[in-house]
Amino acid sequence: MWFALGGLALLCLTPVVASLTGTPYLVNLVTRFAIYGLAAVSLDLVLGYGALVSFGHAMFFGLGGYVVAIIAFHAKQGSPLFGWGDSQQAFIAWPLALACCALLGLATGYLALRTRGVQFIMITLAFGQMVYFVLMSLQIYGGDDGLMMPQRNPLPGLDLKHPATFYYVCLALLAAWTFLCIRLVNSRFGLVLQGLRQSERRSVNLGVAPTPHRLIAFVLSATGTGLAGILWANFAGLVTPDMASWTKSGEFMAIVILGGVGTLLGPIAGAAVFLGLEQTLSAWTEHWMIVMGPLLVLVVLAGRNGLFGGWLRAGHD
Amino acid sequence: MIDVATTSPELLTVRDLRKAFGAVVATNGVHIGVRTGEIHALIGPNGAGKSTLIAQICGEQRPDSGQILLDGRDVTHTPAFARARLGLGRSFQITELFAEYTAADNVLLSLLLKTGRAFEAWGNPRSDARLVEQAMARLTQVGMAERANVRVGDLAHGEKRQLELAVALAREPRLLLLDEPMAGMGPEESARMTDQLMAIKGQYGMLLVEHDMDAVFTLADRITVLVYGKTIFTGTPGQVREHPEVRAAYLGDGAC
Repeated sequence: MWFALGGLALLCLTPVVASLTGTPYLVNLVTRFAIYGLAAVSLDLVLGYGALVSFGHAMFFGLGGYVVAIIAFHAKQGSPLFGWGDSQQAFIAWPLALACCALLGLATGYLALRTRGVQFIMITLAFGQMVYFVLMSLQIYGGDDGLMMPQRNPLPGLDLKHPATFYYVCLALLAAWTFLCIRLVNSRFGLVLQGLRQSERRSVNLGVAPTPHRLIAFVLSATGTGLAGILWANFAGLVTPDMASWTKSGEFMAIVILGGVGTLLGPIAGAAVFLGLEQTLSAWTEHWMIVMGPLLVLVVLAGRNGLFGGWLRAGHD
Repeated sequence: MIDVATTSPELLTVRDLRKAFGAVVATNGVHIGVRTGEIHALIGPNGAGKSTLIAQICGEQRPDSGQILLDGRDVTHTPAFARARLGLGRSFQITELFAEYTAADNVLLSLLLKTGRAFEAWGNPRSDARLVEQAMARLTQVGMAERANVRVGDLAHGEKRQLELAVALAREPRLLLLDEPMAGMGPEESARMTDQLMAIKGQYGMLLVEHDMDAVFTLADRITVLVYGKTIFTGTPGQVREHPEVRAAYLGDGAC
């Protein structure tokens, strides 16, 4: 609880600190924390609570980003999608993108959930790669160069062009999503989902049909990851197929593991540590993975709690 | 004693069940009927096909042929989770519990699955006073109240066996499959488990698979003997004791 509130206060104050100390790039950095945190929380929902190791989650990140970028592209071409001039409004484009991610999650999840364990990892990886190559082959949308998103989706009453405003929108979405996820994992649904992870056999013999539970969690997770993708497209002003590549899926997974699997808040802190290290180490050497790799190995060797899981779990019990 | 075994309707009926794994015939013509309120024991030497039979009754494995009726309803092709919802509860030979949850949470989960609404995504069942109270009552029933907040992973073996029973009972099944509830228990723990089963006898139909013959002969109203995947005899404990084929096949001449 204190971890959450303290972290939130810290994240709220960052733009103020940035403007006081004259380090505006700090806002960019924390915006990336928030966006990656959103993706990490979503992945943790299936990875930590459902023990579903999805190695294809970047496909939702990519799809979310591409949908809003494609809508913006058509609007700019003077032929807005469905001939609808308002289509790039955030409250139209974002839910549309989220719906696309939920549908993709439903389809891939339905098929992937027929398998378990290593097969599940491989099949989600395969779906991720399919999406990646589809995005690569979309010549009209830039192929492997990706697609520019010249301006952020307008949101009435808020100027998203302003970095601090955009950051606060990201932060608010992260906080709201995390709150929802915490409620979810402590609800009846969440208890059953975690029960399935601990003993599927016992769950089934108590009357749980496993697939619907897991599929709902998977779709929710896909939607949250898609939201991160939408924000990323708006933040970076560019979407590329790399958003959906397997290395991106691996990055999300590394963040979750680093922060503490099955803790929700841990992965947010994990995102901050991961991106912070990436930032500082890559200023130092371009082979920053040489340091990050061993660090990840050490954290994993130390147990499944990651950097923050031990704390967070102690707080719960 | 009122003989429930001959007066009440059959809760579970197994008719001519057969299952083979390649050339190995694990179940080769099984007939069993468990009546309401009856403890029906299933005994047989190792490799007689008891585990395969239990797996088929609870729906984890499909028989090649034959019929399984639950309360008169054909469930031969019904999936395991749906059979559980129809009132079939079970304990496992090797403990199957939610290892990261506390004892209380294990029972709580069973309780909330009974009420359905497993998809509710709001509200915390752990702070639902009524549910918690019911869970505690179940734990008290098996003498585990003091261990309610201990994680299952930290419980002793005997305690896990007690908890298995509490979890199965919390779902309020009508038929209980007890797959070697005394497995791995010391004599004292076995005696306690026997007492507990005795205490709930009559409330459920129970199919008891057990190697502990003292327990079986104390508890069972009727006993079915399974040899090489085939049920060879069903009768009262007294009849089973006297049956020559059973003595030869299972009990051995020196037994009893």
